[in-house]
Amino acid sequence: MTTLLEMKHVSKKYGNGTVALSDVNFSVNEGEFVSVIGPSGAGKSTLLRCINKMIQATDGEVIFDSVNISGFKGRSLRKLRTKIGMIFQNYNLVERLSVIENVLHGRLGYKSMLSGSLGLFTNDEKQQAYHLLEMLGLKEQIYQRCDQLSGGQKQRVGIARALIQNPKLMLCDEPIASLDPSSAKTIMDHLKNISDSLKITVLINLHQVDIAMNYADRIIGVSKGQIVFNGAPSQLTSGDIKTIYGSDASNLMINIENHDRVKVAEK
Amino acid sequence: MSMKEPPRISPAMTSAPAMIKTKKLTKSNIVIRTTMTVLALLTIYGFFTFNNQNLKFWPSLMATFANFKTVFIQPHFNHFTFSQAVEGVTVTLALGLLTTIVGAVVAFFLSLLAAENLTNKTTSNIVKTIVAIIRAVPTVLWVLIFAIAAGLGSVAAVIGMSFHSISYLTKAYSESFEEIDEGAIEALKATGAGWWQIVFQSIVPNALTSLISWTFMRFEVNFGVAVAMGAAAGAGGIGYEMFMAGAFYFDIREMGTITYFILAIAIVLEILSTQIKARIRI
Ligand SMILES: Nc1ncnc2c1ncn2[C@@H]1O[C@H](COP(=O)(O)OP(=O)(O)OP(=O)(O)O)[C@@H](O)[C@H]1O
Ligand SMILES: [Mg+2]
Repeated sequence: MTTLLEMKHVSKKYGNGTVALSDVNFSVNEGEFVSVIGPSGAGKSTLLRCINKMIQATDGEVIFDSVNISGFKGRSLRKLRTKIGMIFQNYNLVERLSVIENVLHGRLGYKSMLSGSLGLFTNDEKQQAYHLLEMLGLKEQIYQRCDQLSGGQKQRVGIARALIQNPKLMLCDEPIASLDPSSAKTIMDHLKNISDSLKITVLINLHQVDIAMNYADRIIGVSKGQIVFNGAPSQLTSGDIKTIYGSDASNLMINIENHDRVKVAEK
Repeated sequence: MSMKEPPRISPAMTSAPAMIKTKKLTKSNIVIRTTMTVLALLTIYGFFTFNNQNLKFWPSLMATFANFKTVFIQPHFNHFTFSQAVEGVTVTLALGLLTTIVGAVVAFFLSLLAAENLTNKTTSNIVKTIVAIIRAVPTVLWVLIFAIAAGLGSVAAVIGMSFHSISYLTKAYSESFEEIDEGAIEALKATGAGWWQIVFQSIVPNALTSLISWTFMRFEVNFGVAVAMGAAAGAGGIGYEMFMAGAFYFDIREMGTITYFILAIAIVLEILSTQIKARIRI
């Protein structure tokens, strides 16, 4: 297994003095499906954004694809970002534009300033967008404006926009937090499928521990800016949950033992 | 009496104070109240200290109404023809349109620098301050200032009106840009898109509705200003005809004609603007 991503002693202190991350170390292998869990304010979003440098870490190194990207700026940073797709809790689409226009935005990093600004995409790119939308079950909605879509559909557009970048890594910041359970399952299945069939590494922030355990190869638990758990879902104990979520753990209604039994029964 | 009354919460059961205020006395509240009180006092003081030059109120009012009646009931053409009036209106419209377009184009680029979410705080503050100073001086004054160099006439009017339009639209546009959800910018940044690409692929489509309605609003303002500039700065157009009719020939009937012309244009602009707004919102 080759390592795709490595975080070494990464720390982030915001301007107002908040320490969001302190000395974070972990690595992610190519093709792995890793879920980051932790309570609100633990630093999950900050962690994800330090990887594609939407947020600049104050300390430490980020190694992506064997290159130290900590000092990347300008052109090299833009080029790096084309290799890292990102999806968001609020989808972050341009609501006034059509589905396919939003998907094509994923190609902007590859385009010249002028052709990108004017939205001149090649036929190849449009074909690719079409295929991705077909794969994600949005063939009928291609020309629909994004403000007419449901939450689940919007998130699939978000996934298509990330996939058309041809990314090596997908960062997902609570992609299902605003969705109903059935749409959430569709999105999670798509992400898992992407990871399995396209061999894209997925790093996903989740609020729901049970979903993380169901889908992830590995779980990283974050609490107060520090990594307090890093291991396979089967290794996660109620004690770990307590360490990650603090005293709130009992309110989470997570029954790990029960969960394990379900998994065993499935096998 | 009915048998079962729903339990009611009596004041005694809660710990609420007897008198509950719905407004907290905040700093802004105090400022607003003080301002209103001062304005009310000034108004009363003003009415008591009018210098009415022994003008009789009722006869003067009647005379004014008589004038209105002449202006609006008996309009006529005297010193110019219908086609000349149309030409005058066209000139005035063109003046309004030109200054709005110049203002819109320049303001678009300035507002990108003024929007805090597109540049940094320092640049944004510098641009906003300059623009605020320009806006604080009325359009007419700008025209007169530029008239020093260009002489009274259409050149000074175009430059002065464009100047004020730029500052007005820069403020309006940059505020529309700042209202855009941070996520819409973040998402494109994360794909590796550059600044101009983000501007044209995310910012502009997101803010298009408000950009268009602000621009149209300014066009309506500029049309009105263009009428006044024709009269005050000799910029030509229907405003100049009005000035001549009113201050030179004392022909109030012709004033009536001109007023009707301007009214018609204003109505057409209003209808157009509602139509456009309704259409782009779909
Ligand atoms: N731009 C910012 N400026 C200052 N502090 C910030 C900023 N963004 C986040 N923080 C703080 O950093 C800490 C970590 O925030 P972060 O958003 O990474 O948490 P999170 O784990 O994603 O939480 P959630 O589950 O609610 O999304 C929090 O205490 C937050 O208040
Ligand atoms: Mg978050």
